[in-house]
Amino acid sequence: MTDVLAEVSRSGPATAETVDALHDDLDRLWAAADFVPDLDRMAFATAVIEAASNVVQHAVPSRESVQLGVDISVRPHRLHARILEIGAAPASVELAGEHGDDEEAESGRGLALIRALVSTVTFERRGADNVWVLWRDAPGATS
Amino acid sequence: MQFTVENRPDFAEVQGVGRLNMVSAPKLREVIAGVVAGGRTHVVVNLGGTDFMDSSGLGALIGCLKLARQAGGDLRIANVQPQVRMVLELTNMNRVLTPYDSAEAAFSPRGDSRD
Repeated sequence: MTDVLAEVSRSGPATAETVDALHDDLDRLWAAADFVPDLDRMAFATAVIEAASNVVQHAVPSRESVQLGVDISVRPHRLHARILEIGAAPASVELAGEHGDDEEAESGRGLALIRALVSTVTFERRGADNVWVLWRDAPGATS
Repeated sequence: MQFTVENRPDFAEVQGVGRLNMVSAPKLREVIAGVVAGGRTHVVVNLGGTDFMDSSGLGALIGCLKLARQAGGDLRIANVQPQVRMVLELTNMNRVLTPYDSAEAAFSPRGDSRD
């Protein structure tokens, strides 16, 4: 088991308000793990918020509503997030594709941004949920 | 996120303080649509107090840029902070929304004050 140096979790309805609360969770995480370099904090927080926002905007409930579950941890030299779409219908997320070159498009940049910000991102079906896993290698992240 | 609008002689300056995300992006669109509809088509969005922007926020800025241009004006951004700069660069949107050092520099006639 990898050492966890600091962690935060949040669960709630898949709404913009929950994503806003997640911002505050990330601020608390960085306060507790002030050894994580600024660039890694900034990049990873942006990727986590993009993925959580994607859930709010695109996850389709399989029954009543989708719940968002987020676990974020700082580990030696790595930042990790698991984002659950609880009660969401099976879905596929195009993580390998290229974003089009339409400079005037007002949406569609979130997935490309996540890919640029993390070392690994996966999206898969587990049981009744869809699960995002984000890793960012952060060599300077060590207490 | 809180927005304030200040009418300058050559442009309207919109300041946003807080996070420009999926919650505040529609508010930014609303504020700037109001400014443009009021006849101020040259708009500077001062992002000095914006410590976070995601792709929703970026999409809103692009929408507002189109709105200003359709009205015969333009929209420029100034005073961007490191996270916003990172998002602009990774999406290559710094080519479309070029950051200026300050609101005053954004519509400076010299046009050479880009940072």
